[in-house]
Amino acid sequence: MSVLSVDNLRTSLVIGGVEYHALREISLSVAEGETLAVVGESGCGKSMLAMSVMGLLPSVAAITMGHVTLDAVQIEAASESVMEHIRGAKIGMVFQEPMTALNPVLTVGEQIAEPLRDHLGLSKREARKAAVALMEKVRIPAAATRYNSYPHEFSGGMRQRVVIALAIACRPRLLIADEPTTALDVTVQRQILDLLDMLRTEGKMGMLLITHNLGTVAGHADRVAVMYGGDLVESATVKELFRSPAHPYSRALLASLPRVDRDLSELASIPGRVPALINMPEGCRFIDRCPHAMERCHTMPPSVAVGESQAHSVRCWLHVQGGEDAAEG
Amino acid sequence: MLLKVEELRVSFSVRTGWPFPETHELRAVDGVSFDVREGESFGIVGESGCGKSTVARAILRLVDSKSGRVVFSGIDITSIPARHLRRLRPRLQMIFQDPAASLSPRMRIGDALAEAIRVHAIASGPDIDALVRNALAEVGLPPESANRFPHEFSGGQKQRIGIARALVLSPSVIIADEPVSALDVSVQAQILNLMARLKKERNIAFVFISHDLGVVRHFCERTAVMYLGQIIETGSTRNLFDAPKHPYTRLLRSVSPVPDPEKPAHLDVEEGEPPSPLNPPSGCRFHPRCRFVTDICRSETPDLRPVGAGFVACHHAEALPPAES
Amino acid sequence: MSEALTIDRRVRRLPPGRVAIIAGAAIMAIVAAAAILAPLVAPHDPYAQSMLARFRPMSAEYWLGTDQFGRDTFSRILYGLQITLWTAFASTALAMLCGTSIGILSGYYGGRVDRWLSAANDLLMSFPQMVAGIIIVALLGPGITNLIIAIAITAFPAFYRMARSAALALRERDYIDACRVLGYSDMRIISRHLLPETLDDIIIVATLWLATAVRTESSLAFIGLGAPPPAATLGGLVREGFDNLLDYPGLAIWPSLAILVVMIGLNLMGDGLRDANDPRASA
Repeated sequence: MSVLSVDNLRTSLVIGGVEYHALREISLSVAEGETLAVVGESGCGKSMLAMSVMGLLPSVAAITMGHVTLDAVQIEAASESVMEHIRGAKIGMVFQEPMTALNPVLTVGEQIAEPLRDHLGLSKREARKAAVALMEKVRIPAAATRYNSYPHEFSGGMRQRVVIALAIACRPRLLIADEPTTALDVTVQRQILDLLDMLRTEGKMGMLLITHNLGTVAGHADRVAVMYGGDLVESATVKELFRSPAHPYSRALLASLPRVDRDLSELASIPGRVPALINMPEGCRFIDRCPHAMERCHTMPPSVAVGESQAHSVRCWLHVQGGEDAAEG
Repeated sequence: MLLKVEELRVSFSVRTGWPFPETHELRAVDGVSFDVREGESFGIVGESGCGKSTVARAILRLVDSKSGRVVFSGIDITSIPARHLRRLRPRLQMIFQDPAASLSPRMRIGDALAEAIRVHAIASGPDIDALVRNALAEVGLPPESANRFPHEFSGGQKQRIGIARALVLSPSVIIADEPVSALDVSVQAQILNLMARLKKERNIAFVFISHDLGVVRHFCERTAVMYLGQIIETGSTRNLFDAPKHPYTRLLRSVSPVPDPEKPAHLDVEEGEPPSPLNPPSGCRFHPRCRFVTDICRSETPDLRPVGAGFVACHHAEALPPAES
Repeated sequence: MSEALTIDRRVRRLPPGRVAIIAGAAIMAIVAAAAILAPLVAPHDPYAQSMLARFRPMSAEYWLGTDQFGRDTFSRILYGLQITLWTAFASTALAMLCGTSIGILSGYYGGRVDRWLSAANDLLMSFPQMVAGIIIVALLGPGITNLIIAIAITAFPAFYRMARSAALALRERDYIDACRVLGYSDMRIISRHLLPETLDDIIIVATLWLATAVRTESSLAFIGLGAPPPAATLGGLVREGFDNLLDYPGLAIWPSLAILVVMIGLNLMGDGLRDANDPRASA
């Protein structure tokens, strides 16, 4: 059963009185206990996607088409007060910069205890006990004494653990982690990602892991959605994507990655840059940088299945029957 | 030897405590030595707070060093007067992490490049323009860029401008402090390829500072790993990453993400974070996090000594089991 | 029509501060024109006394009446405006020049000199402007030049502090390091790369301090420490009118109104500039 399903979602932005599609026709789902990684470079729309799901879009943006279903309830048109409850109890959020998610003048314990009282109706003492248990669960050493510490007394990694404790406090169904380790050192990154994996399996949560780091995806996700310019260009299991990427952008992205485990003669690089939202191409948004661009790419490509498995799909004309040969070259 | 760093030490005084702050000495760089040959790139890796950026800034005398020497082309640049240093500057350039912050915001790109040329009297009159255009072309920017302001460019383009500004001075060493960490993967590849080309064509040496082992492996022939202000292992990059000896290098290597789901990451990653450089542990600074720790590690600081093909600062370097990979 | 399109129906409003800047500038343009053109515009000689024309009420000949020496109040206000504005402008310019340059050098180089200068500056700032002004004028003696110097000294700390903190912040920026790596001299870095970045802030502070300088000048004149008679300054006019406040209130009120108009104009401009340049205000 899927915890989150996004169906044909379009999010639009109004700039100077003109409407632009920041997200086009996004469909994806996250199953119970599964991690779906959303990868892409800046401007690909991955954070916009997260905000659309959480109902935290800025005032100039809105969902203009499609559905977001969380735990069998449609939420794309939910009111702010309903969303507030959903965000507190059903969706846990972990952000890139833990300091901005924490209140500097409250002790970390109080901050973890607060949602427990608000959303689960625990008494003050119960909440305190539960908060300490949560802190132990995210492996904060000496949790009972550190209950009374303030965020600035914690290291970056420990703060992120506090944020995670806060996120899972009400046993959410879905965990959205938006670049959760980008601001952390590599040794700490691994600890945090391992912790998230453990909590997700244990709590049977679905996880939407938003990241730009393909290395993180390889080690910590089950399935992956590649985004470019507001389109979901390819979606596959992690193994499939790394073994046989189908979209020209995914291929180029994987080939441009320096490797710590082997020598590469030269990195493939993608010429040019992501176009700004206000001058996105009409059809495939990768058209200007794609080595395989052809006439039909001026119309939006459909999403088609690759190979036998229904789990691998790509939005590219190369893979449409009657299109050019899909092989490399 | 083009650039030689000997026993470099840099300290900052830090005031902590409330309401009566006390001054403590933070040894950001604590006895670092290495050298860089012509046309070679030397990597420095480590986590935040290990002192790698301070090394870069001390080489360029952007911060004062407490002791030690930096010898560039046979001249000890730690002790020469500022006036003499200015004349040497063109040959020793730097590329910054945040390309946006390293350009004067109100200066057109052409003017910024021309200023550097004029100050060092590298060319005059119309030759300046030609030089600016050439440098822009060399980093892959159109000549019209000269009339634009920094904010009109993307991050990758700004980094190209930063490189062009260094190039007009014909440097023999470029210190690159996390030059690609602020960039997207595909742009990162563009910049790395550009730098590799310059290295080859112009025989420029690089001191390349990064937290990303993959990037360092791709770009550098030799690498040093820093932990809390000291180099704990150094050697050829390939050796260092394929057969890391120091337990910290092993840890770094094993947690560095590999974009390959077929290669499962090691499961047992120790908890713990680097301690504060304000109050480093006694003996070997890595000992509180090390799984091979013995008594000697707690009391005696290991020297960086030759082990195999590289240098390792670990009492047990020879005795440790080979790293799994 | 999609929902998103309705979102942008916000009131189209001018950028922050625009209205205030325009209004303030308009007021100041008129006031400054009146002051500069005083010799041409003024209907009478401001210093010409006439025992026959004492305490005249408002009339076609004497627009705002005359004082106890029979001098035309309107003409005296115009000439007073001239001296007051000149004093304010000269003292602010002086303070700006010294405060900014010393502040930038102090912040850029840091160290012991910077600590001592900052401490001295804080001490100067801790005096209320009026008290500082009174002490300095008393020490220097009367005269417009001394008045300008006195007001400049009271305004100095504001510029020093602003320039120093700007230099301190900019010194840490990568592009200043980049300049040093490029081998630029400190003088070049300060004048070509640091100063231009602080100029906006300096102009805003200067505009607001012009207003304060007008007030300081008027207050000093009011307690008799202003420009020596018979020179007319706005504060001096209020002081003179004060002697006959109960019988002829206009003599004190008209110059007071003139001060008020100048203050409003300068403050509108300064606040407007500040709002327009506040990064938080621009969405």
